Amino acid sequence: MDNLETTIAKTWCPGCPNFGVLAAVKQAISALEQEKVLERKDLVAVTGIGCHGKMYDHLNLNGFYSLHGRSLPTMLGIKIGNPKLKVIGFMGDGDAYAEGLAHLIHACRYNADLTAVIHNNQTFALTTGQETPTSDENEFRFNPLSIALEAGASFVARSYALDIPHLGDLLEQAVIHKGFSLLEVVQPCLVFQDNAEFFKEKITKVDQAKSREEALEITRSWNYSASPKDKVPTGLFYQAEKPSFEDQWKELKRKPLTQEQLKNWFS
Amino acid sequence: MLECLSMEVNVLIGGPAGEGVGRTSHLLGKAIVEAGGFVFNYRDYPSLIRGGHNFNILKISDQPVSSHEWQVDLIVAFDQQTIDLHQKERKEKGIIIASSQFESSSLVGIDLAGILQKLEAKKVVGNNIFLGVIFKALSLSFESLRAVLKKEFKSSMVVLAAKAGYDLSVSPVAEFKFEKEKERFFLTGNEAIAAGALQGGLETYFAYPMTPATAVLGFLQKAQKETGVKAIQLENEIAVANAALGASFAGNVSMLGTSGGGLGLMAEALSLQGMSELPLVAYLSQRAGPSTGVPTYTSQGDLNFALNIGHGEFPRLVVAPGDVKEAYERTQEALYLAMKYRSLVILLGDKHLGENEYVADELKDLGLKSLPADRQGSQEDYSPYRITESGVSPFLPPGQGPISRATSYEHDEKGLTTEESEPTIKMNDKRFRKLKGIEKEVAGLNPVSYYGNGNGENLIVAWGSTKGAIIDALKDLPDWSFLQISWLSPFPCEAVLEKLKTARRVVLVENSATGQLANLISKEIQFKIKEKILKYDGRPFTVREIVKELKNG
Repeated sequence: MDNLETTIAKTWCPGCPNFGVLAAVKQAISALEQEKVLERKDLVAVTGIGCHGKMYDHLNLNGFYSLHGRSLPTMLGIKIGNPKLKVIGFMGDGDAYAEGLAHLIHACRYNADLTAVIHNNQTFALTTGQETPTSDENEFRFNPLSIALEAGASFVARSYALDIPHLGDLLEQAVIHKGFSLLEVVQPCLVFQDNAEFFKEKITKVDQAKSREEALEITRSWNYSASPKDKVPTGLFYQAEKPSFEDQWKELKRKPLTQEQLKNWFS
Repeated sequence: MLECLSMEVNVLIGGPAGEGVGRTSHLLGKAIVEAGGFVFNYRDYPSLIRGGHNFNILKISDQPVSSHEWQVDLIVAFDQQTIDLHQKERKEKGIIIASSQFESSSLVGIDLAGILQKLEAKKVVGNNIFLGVIFKALSLSFESLRAVLKKEFKSSMVVLAAKAGYDLSVSPVAEFKFEKEKERFFLTGNEAIAAGALQGGLETYFAYPMTPATAVLGFLQKAQKETGVKAIQLENEIAVANAALGASFAGNVSMLGTSGGGLGLMAEALSLQGMSELPLVAYLSQRAGPSTGVPTYTSQGDLNFALNIGHGEFPRLVVAPGDVKEAYERTQEALYLAMKYRSLVILLGDKHLGENEYVADELKDLGLKSLPADRQGSQEDYSPYRITESGVSPFLPPGQGPISRATSYEHDEKGLTTEESEPTIKMNDKRFRKLKGIEKEVAGLNPVSYYGNGNGENLIVAWGSTKGAIIDALKDLPDWSFLQISWLSPFPCEAVLEKLKTARRVVLVENSATGQLANLISKEIQFKIKEKILKYDGRPFTVREIVKELKNG
């Protein structure tokens, strides 16, 4: 596990739940390697911009430190470029739910074989605490996991950054899933959104739903508020089999162009 | 001995959108080329799907041509509107051919319905009757038209309809006697760019539909099975640009295409190219702006945009082909330089080049091998951003063994983030050091071309698609020469200065309101061009317009 470390000093705040996510990621990668699900040389970690993005510097893996909100199209391009690569993307709630929401909805639709881990601390932390689309104090919130299900996501799950075994286990399942896997990781931001006590009390592990409708009931049951009556469901809510976007080009083999072809097209 | 004058005829074919105006014009052009003649097919259409008014003007000649004229010898009208709109453009001896149900003083009416009934053919076949009539009016043998129609259609009815038209009695508007010396190509600039990209080793093309670049996506999608290229439409231009860089990171020869508005959306990702140094070619097909502008019409208003797009400082390479032969070759150069130097190359075209059809004598494989990324770097102690003397860091995509990285952040040689002063300077310097090698390569790629019989005292300067009308105009301008600048960044300073400093009169011809090339020349070599012929109504230049301006000047 240790050789997943890099030499870069970690600049997250002391006690940041991102340390938990990093630990769970390392746990999952080591397990997947042992299970021979993947070879490390074929693994690519993609990040957006925000606190989560520092994962790029702390994982000794192939990596692409992409733009804010643009991890998903970057991941898609990598997968189309070389379908043998296993691509895990990390993004924040600002990334995936605000700046890049269109990409998230389309990623659910395409169902390329990608894994998206969304660090949702319900705040723009790195820019010092502005509201995101799922901030508790934001009265204009939406529910991205419900949107993902409606958009055709084939793997929708939620875990908690401070429950490392649970998160690592779900991440393993997400990577193994053939298709687009959406794994939301709720996490407190100790500086701007410290709801650790709330999560500790309210997180409730649920069983996988049998249908998309049932999964929607689960996702709708928490609307990202910190109200005392809420429970926060975690676990794999929904999984289904669907064709993958990149398989459209599976059979193609690039051939050199001939003068015959040019004549056929243009003469 | 009498001077042999070249013969030239302009044919306008017009009608509502969706009735086959474009297709009929394409077939006519193809049959002319098959017969051994030369043709340029100008396409003019508004932004709508059905109805409205589309027209094409084909300049047909026994000599190479690369522009059209508004004054036409023959009008083929699919509806009354075409007659009403264009009869003023008819030359004195010109004729209008249309179904006899329409009205005009100079109409050669054709009993379309009667012929179709006799053939028991559907209405859609009627356009081919016109093709036969046009061929007869040009005094051409039916055989080349027959050959083209047989190749393009399964139904023999099409040939019968064309023959029925050919057998009608029409007075000739020209007496062409073509000799077919060789097989030539007839294609649009977009097709030349798509095929040139395939020739240059393109593996993955990303786009979101936007006129006038859309046809490249369509062409490559159709060619997927045959060539193995991947041509992919995504949800928006931002996705397109980021995915194109993702595919480039994965080791693909990667390219995208759009117009000005789309490239605007891509600006941040193109800046990411600058930092990540992932090879990328961006085809920018200009249309008349700003904003939505005049979306199906042409412009050269985005030169400054192409030269400067993206925040931050990094090299942007810009190359602008002037016709289909150049489009085929310059696209190969763009891919080659992008791959070799891990650079952004903007392939700058426009609606005029992209959507009009030109004749090309050859489509040449330049033999520039844009080495796939997986064969460039060495696996030993691999660093994706190694500081080198050339400024080029050999690249290995992920999956080969060594850890490969790409990043939007400033970084060290391994691609890990840094915010320190010294590595920031070193990486900036490395990125710009690449320009030395690029400049040397570009100097060997004919970055400028020089045409004309004049001694160079009177010099037209231009770039891109205006080449067509300028080359045709030179026939009427014996005292003029033409300097075409194709590589605009890096700018070929020496080659341009050499021609400009010996000229007495220099005139810029540009499809823009401000004459952006003049500003670029002024900035690069401190040479002021005072005379500018500018046109910014979305329409391309014609020979007549250029000659008139220069003779009046």
